[in-house]
Amino acid sequence: MSASSVRLTVNGAPSPLAEVPHDERLLDSLRWRLGLKGTKEGCRTGNCGACTVLVDGASTLSCLTLTHEVEGAAVTTVEGVADDPVGARVRAAFADAGALQCGYCTPGFLVALTGLLREEGRAAPVEELLEELASNLCRCTGYSAIARAVKDARERLP
Amino acid sequence: MSAVRRPDADLKLAGQATYGTDLDAPGMLWAALVLAPGPRGRLRSVDLSAARALPGVVAVGASDVPALAGRGERDAERPLFADAQVVYPNQPLAAVAAPTLERARAAVRAVRVDLAAEPAVTDLEAIFPEWPGSGAASSPHVAAHVHARRGDVDAAFGSADRVVRETYRTASVHQVALEPHACLAEADGTTWRVRTSTQSPFGVREDLSSLLGVPESSIVVDGTWVGGGFGGKGASFLEPYALLLARASGRPVKLALTYREEFLLGRTTLPSVIRLDTAVAGGRIAARRVRLLLDVGTSLPGRDFATGYSIGFLLGPYQTPAFEVEGYAVRTNKPAFGPHRAPFAPQCAFALESHLEEVAHQVGADPGQFRADHLWVEGGTTAMGQPVAGFGIPAALAQARATAARWRAEAPAGHGVGIGLGFWSTGAGAGGETRVVLSERGLTILEGEREIGSGSVVVGLAAVAAERTGLPRERVHVEYGDTARAPFDSGVYGSRTVAALGGAVDEACRSLLATLAQRLGATVPVRLEVDAEQLVAVAGSSHRPVSELLTPEELRAGGLSADGKHYGRSGAIDESIVLDGTFYAFTDFSGAVHVAEVAVDVETGGVTVVRYAAFQDVGRTVDRASAHAQVEGAVVMGLGTALTEEAIWRDDGRLANPGLLDYRIPTLTEVPPIEVTFVEGYPGAGPSGAKGIGEPPIIPVPATIAAAVRAASGAHVTDLPLTGERVARALKRG
Repeated sequence: MSASSVRLTVNGAPSPLAEVPHDERLLDSLRWRLGLKGTKEGCRTGNCGACTVLVDGASTLSCLTLTHEVEGAAVTTVEGVADDPVGARVRAAFADAGALQCGYCTPGFLVALTGLLREEGRAAPVEELLEELASNLCRCTGYSAIARAVKDARERLP
Repeated sequence: MSAVRRPDADLKLAGQATYGTDLDAPGMLWAALVLAPGPRGRLRSVDLSAARALPGVVAVGASDVPALAGRGERDAERPLFADAQVVYPNQPLAAVAAPTLERARAAVRAVRVDLAAEPAVTDLEAIFPEWPGSGAASSPHVAAHVHARRGDVDAAFGSADRVVRETYRTASVHQVALEPHACLAEADGTTWRVRTSTQSPFGVREDLSSLLGVPESSIVVDGTWVGGGFGGKGASFLEPYALLLARASGRPVKLALTYREEFLLGRTTLPSVIRLDTAVAGGRIAARRVRLLLDVGTSLPGRDFATGYSIGFLLGPYQTPAFEVEGYAVRTNKPAFGPHRAPFAPQCAFALESHLEEVAHQVGADPGQFRADHLWVEGGTTAMGQPVAGFGIPAALAQARATAARWRAEAPAGHGVGIGLGFWSTGAGAGGETRVVLSERGLTILEGEREIGSGSVVVGLAAVAAERTGLPRERVHVEYGDTARAPFDSGVYGSRTVAALGGAVDEACRSLLATLAQRLGATVPVRLEVDAEQLVAVAGSSHRPVSELLTPEELRAGGLSADGKHYGRSGAIDESIVLDGTFYAFTDFSGAVHVAEVAVDVETGGVTVVRYAAFQDVGRTVDRASAHAQVEGAVVMGLGTALTEEAIWRDDGRLANPGLLDYRIPTLTEVPPIEVTFVEGYPGAGPSGAKGIGEPPIIPVPATIAAAVRAASGAHVTDLPLTGERVARALKRG
């Protein structure tokens, strides 16, 4: 498998990657090249959502994305979420609602909701937000606290 | 909702918590397992030479273990790799490690395996199409046999007004923790060191000692944050393979399962067949016969816990004057049965509660009243002869019935409301110890256990210490240590953390306060307070800053320490009724009663859960927000067991659905509103009467959904899960 360099901006910082095999997944580049392990590896088949990141603002499953596909893009991971005013509100809402237990799905939910709220703001109906987030799995909370955090995060938007 | 933020919230929300999958070390190799290509057969050879020829690859097979492992005796009944015989699908045959995961996978593909395949036996009912006759207990298919009888059962059935005989079947369900199993091993000199995502670091150490023939004193297990356990991360699993590869290569070795392997190799709940016969006389239960066939996969003979523990749940917390219970743990070519949140109890409750609904229908009784009329009474005895104490289920049932009556009155046509009851005993286990250290700044609890998500360690233990000492919660911290440093504890399982280990924390805090009382010369109890940012010990009118009560040595050592132990409360059953096998006593009497309203699509059999209420006997609530979160989470996990989750093992020994697309767990939009009510005042074995909360709230869920489906549609479904197909079929049967 051939390899070549990829230019990415990750959480606002230029992050050039050298000799990236063409079949390398964005998930692995983030975790093992850049040490950004907040992006979680769950199923690697696109079913659990734990690896969700934003690529140019859009919610993306990093396990099903080749690093080369996102050449030149701006990637936001959970480590960068708090720097975003919307992300900071989402994070506070999750903490206040107790919307986490083991925490393994949490980065995926934070990133996905931040992406949705940045795009749609308060205009997004709660039901639509929940529908969008239904592709992120959580085994601990039973989702009730997460749903409360989603409503609360939306309310907190300016 | 939560009054106090979880102490681990900020770390986890920042993506900074290190889980097993996140581990790495300089110079680390990546490992992968070589899995058997068939479910059963004679292993002619496992040729690792082509794998070893790849650059940087280290491979370990069965024949390499003696040279690499310790000099002590190894558990011959639990070989790490299949040697002569493959007994379950995907059984590990060898392990490889390489500088990259890609190369490790290439090495796996290069291994040549010669397996003389034999037909797999995966179906309980193919082994025992009829109830096993006498002598079956010695069959190689039987891992355990339990049998008990009280009273004249034949006479009770002979003179009954009515006899109800039913058969229930339950499916294999998987824990589905989102984090796959993962660990990082280092073998250095005589030390075997492993960091791993586990519910029980000391349990892993004990397992490793017998699997590798290494004394426990040479093994150090350090836990990571755990990305969900649910019973699946209790015993050791990947650690011995990673350690052998680390020993063989002289490098740190990381081994993690793929999610597909999680499904293929997971040790979890396996299928069962449950036959329940009930004799009724004068409107009351006169006798019951319980017959259980439980698939235990490759569980070892004689080591099965599931059957002897579970079978009591098929009598339930109900007065049953005469009974005969008999169960077989049946071995099949599947991975071994393993614990899954309240192991096998939701399945037992589903069968028993559905059966009681049927009995009540047949005798023309109200199912709620019928249950209430038969519940154990405080001060009475269980069916197995144990004294009943701290039994909150009758109060929970009364509240649940009131809610059910209200919901029935409100429910539109096509909806149905059902009740289900689940009994459990929490706080069991091999006991534990803890150490607390008081400094000028606060109190530290030293633990080998890691927080698995429930909050039982970071919130629960801290809350117990705060209550006992008077300190505010933010002045109590949990500090984790590896097994070389932290006091022994048997693990975070069995809803035992607050109930059992909490007792140790409570005792350590009492001992600490007693020392402070001595130093204060106090004759009244000492409390700790924060006064102008300073920690102060207060007893009556006297108070002194903690800094003045600690010796210079203690201040240098980090504080005044005190130890606590908790070796559980043990009960005893009436052994005179036991005919064969081992039955287990309850440590406390916990449980829950649930109410569900559902809508059933009579065309497709599809079930929609409209609303849900849980009434939980918790003894005493230690932390309301965490307890509430446990109930919500358990109910939703239980909805999966009730409606969609089923690991389908085909006759050829292959798993038909080893992934999250085909093994469906509940998602965000399928969750009903859940009302949670705690029933307090019926004390358990924990600090000030607390009971465990992690497991009990999952137990009544399948039973509750089944009762509601029946109320909504008339469908009496006797198999779990209640898929649309099964509900539609039951409706067609009428």
